[in-house]
Amino acid sequence: MAGSALRRLMAEYKQLTLDPPEGIVAGPISEDNFFEWEALIAGPEGTCFEGGVFPARLVFPPDYPLSPPKMKFICDMFHPNIFADGRVCISILHAPGDDPMGYELSAERWSPVQSVEKILLSVVSMLAEPNDESGANVDAAIMWRERREEFNQIARRLVRKTLGLPT
Amino acid sequence: MQLLISSVCMALTSAVIGNAYYQKKQFYPAVVYITKSNASMAVIYIQFFVIVFMFGKLLRKIFLGTLRAAEFEHLLERFWYALTETCLAFTVFRDDFNPRFVALFTVLLFLKSFHWLAEERVDFMERSPVLGWLFHIRVASLLSMLGILDYVLLMHAYNSTLLRGPTVQLVFGFEYAILLTVIASTAIKYVLHAAEMRTDTPWENKAVFLLYTELVIGLIKVVLYLLFVVIMAKIYALPMFVFRPMFFTIRNFRKALNDVIMSRRAIRNMNTLYPDATPEELRQSDNICIICREDMVNHSKKLPCGHIFHTTCLRSWFQRQQTCPTCRLNILRAPAVNSTALPRAPGAADEPAAAVGAAPAAGQPGPANATGANASPAIAAPDVGLGRANGTPTGANAPPPSFAELFGDANGFPNLGGIPPPPLMPMLAPFMVPPPFAYFTPVPVPPPPMPLDLTKFTDEELRAMEGNQRKHIEERLQLLRNITLMLDSAGILMNQYQGLVARLPPTTVSTSATETTTSATSLADVASTTTLASTTSPVSSAVYDKPSTSTAAAAAAAAFAAKTQEAHQIKSVAPTIAATVTSTSVTDKITIEDLGADEDDVPTVAATDTIAATADAENEDSSELSELRKRRLKFLEERNKSPDSAERAASE
Ligand SMILES: [Zn+2]
Ligand SMILES: [Zn+2]
Repeated sequence: MAGSALRRLMAEYKQLTLDPPEGIVAGPISEDNFFEWEALIAGPEGTCFEGGVFPARLVFPPDYPLSPPKMKFICDMFHPNIFADGRVCISILHAPGDDPMGYELSAERWSPVQSVEKILLSVVSMLAEPNDESGANVDAAIMWRERREEFNQIARRLVRKTLGLPT
Repeated sequence: MQLLISSVCMALTSAVIGNAYYQKKQFYPAVVYITKSNASMAVIYIQFFVIVFMFGKLLRKIFLGTLRAAEFEHLLERFWYALTETCLAFTVFRDDFNPRFVALFTVLLFLKSFHWLAEERVDFMERSPVLGWLFHIRVASLLSMLGILDYVLLMHAYNSTLLRGPTVQLVFGFEYAILLTVIASTAIKYVLHAAEMRTDTPWENKAVFLLYTELVIGLIKVVLYLLFVVIMAKIYALPMFVFRPMFFTIRNFRKALNDVIMSRRAIRNMNTLYPDATPEELRQSDNICIICREDMVNHSKKLPCGHIFHTTCLRSWFQRQQTCPTCRLNILRAPAVNSTALPRAPGAADEPAAAVGAAPAAGQPGPANATGANASPAIAAPDVGLGRANGTPTGANAPPPSFAELFGDANGFPNLGGIPPPPLMPMLAPFMVPPPFAYFTPVPVPPPPMPLDLTKFTDEELRAMEGNQRKHIEERLQLLRNITLMLDSAGILMNQYQGLVARLPPTTVSTSATETTTSATSLADVASTTTLASTTSPVSSAVYDKPSTSTAAAAAAAAFAAKTQEAHQIKSVAPTIAATVTSTSVTDKITIEDLGADEDDVPTVAATDTIAATADAENEDSSELSELRKRRLKFLEERNKSPDSAERAASE
């Protein structure tokens, strides 16, 4: 019998394939390693990321779902909650106990109740509404707060870039 | 790329060797020539590393096949750390620096890389859906080969240290010892994973085994590191190069230890306190364990918050965190009260119902029933009153009572633990009832009646009572807490009385009984809540005098009221709360039986005697008490079945 992490990931994959949430596609990169997934996230409508399709990679720990996966955008991103190297910094991806920023409520943190789908939906809402208290990308946070128009411009340029259009 | 480098290397080496041979024409002079020339030596060294590298690649191909991207990344990362640490180690042993030394370190690094790869591979087992025979053969042979090599090299280092005293071999011996522990834990993990793969059901104890393996290996490693650091510091200098791995090892060990402790606690809680989910509960929920997303057909547990999970899933989660995965209830902080109250609360609630149920309906033979009535609200407040009331007249000739005795042994009560913590509403309710007794209010709170006459006590006895050691204070605090709990439950019970009495069918006698009961109840509520208010706050401040006084005051108030009403028909100083006593004062003729017992024409004096006689006995005789309670519950059941007959009986 395969490990429980693997079985749960398979179950989640099945669920995501049968009933995919809008604007999200996700699945293992290769069928013989269920612990590395690729996800495509459509920029939420009505935001500066609208129209973009952002690829990201999810790496699951062996003890998933007891520990959260890691998520990293593999395209250029400019967002207050995304590190420059693409790592996503939202509370759902942090296990209670390790709080890199020291302000997150433990109620929003990772627990086995969460799932890939919930993570991706949180990321979509994070794209729509950045949390400018999180210091993942300070430049982006400041720009988002103070020079919104400039921020929107950069975001739109990124959208065009992910679509392969000239910027 | 690699091919290019190696071929260039090959060409360089052959050029160097060819040049030497061409110049010297003979083997030995050629060797001497090469070793004398720095440039040639550099080429030879590089060739050496390239050969090692190629050999490593070959071994990797044999034992591991192609590396996954993540494996390669991790290997590279760890390799650089190890390399820098090796360079640090060179600084300590700069005197021993020679080609042999470099070669030994290269071998060490080489072996280390394979240990890491083996570790990664075994960890990967958990993630891989299918693994063929090749995988098992490869991993098993790799592990055994590495184990044997580690052992041989460790023994070699050990022997050479014994032979020649501490040299750089000390470092190697230590490194190979650490590597042996790594191999040991990897092998254990491999066996565990392989065993799990062979079974068709999830293996429940695997996580526990893994945790303990980690703990034991961690301990061994920590000991090894500490030993090494001490020895090195004595002989050479502080070995800076092991600090980073040592730090991680100690951190991992601490984490493992913490995990073991916390999970043990949580799992113990889970096993002892939380009920298994019943099939009905499973049907009501969606029957899916939210942790593993699989059906719950086998063992599952219900947490105090009502969420249900697989026992195994919960166990592995509790090794991480001791909270409910769904609602994050901290099960280490919350459990005792919640969980014990859950199964028992219904029973506790039944008792007063039984008592009240008996009131309008004539039931069982008089004396026994009367005692039962007193016993069944076996909550504490009456007990406090009892202790007080009985203590007052007899206190003088009694031996100096301990604090606990004075208040009645609260802990002796069997169902104390089962009394649920007071919900908010019942606690608030009493305040909404205006005290209906004009009589009560003017009664001044009497002074604490505890030591009636201090002169009767000897100095020593007084000192014993005033004990202010930690033990005494703790005892007092415990008592006060118990009293608070008892009063809370008294309040709840009284409210239940009230509610039930209001719903009772009016019968000839019970009309008056109901009136008095209600009014008495509200009075008692007021009394108990005021007491409570004064009790709760000082408890925390560890002042014992005030709370004890005020608690005593309530009880004493009852006794006092009772005394002043001696002209009336006081039947008893029964343990049914101050309320009963006060009710006698108002209605003159209502007796204790009205509150919770039958209206049979029991000769009141007889009843009183029985009560007085049994009152003390009750404290000790909890078996009799529970027997009575059982009888009462049965009676209630019967009554519920045939309300008509009961009513008829009541009116008779
Ligand atoms: Zn489960
Ligand atoms: Zn819960």
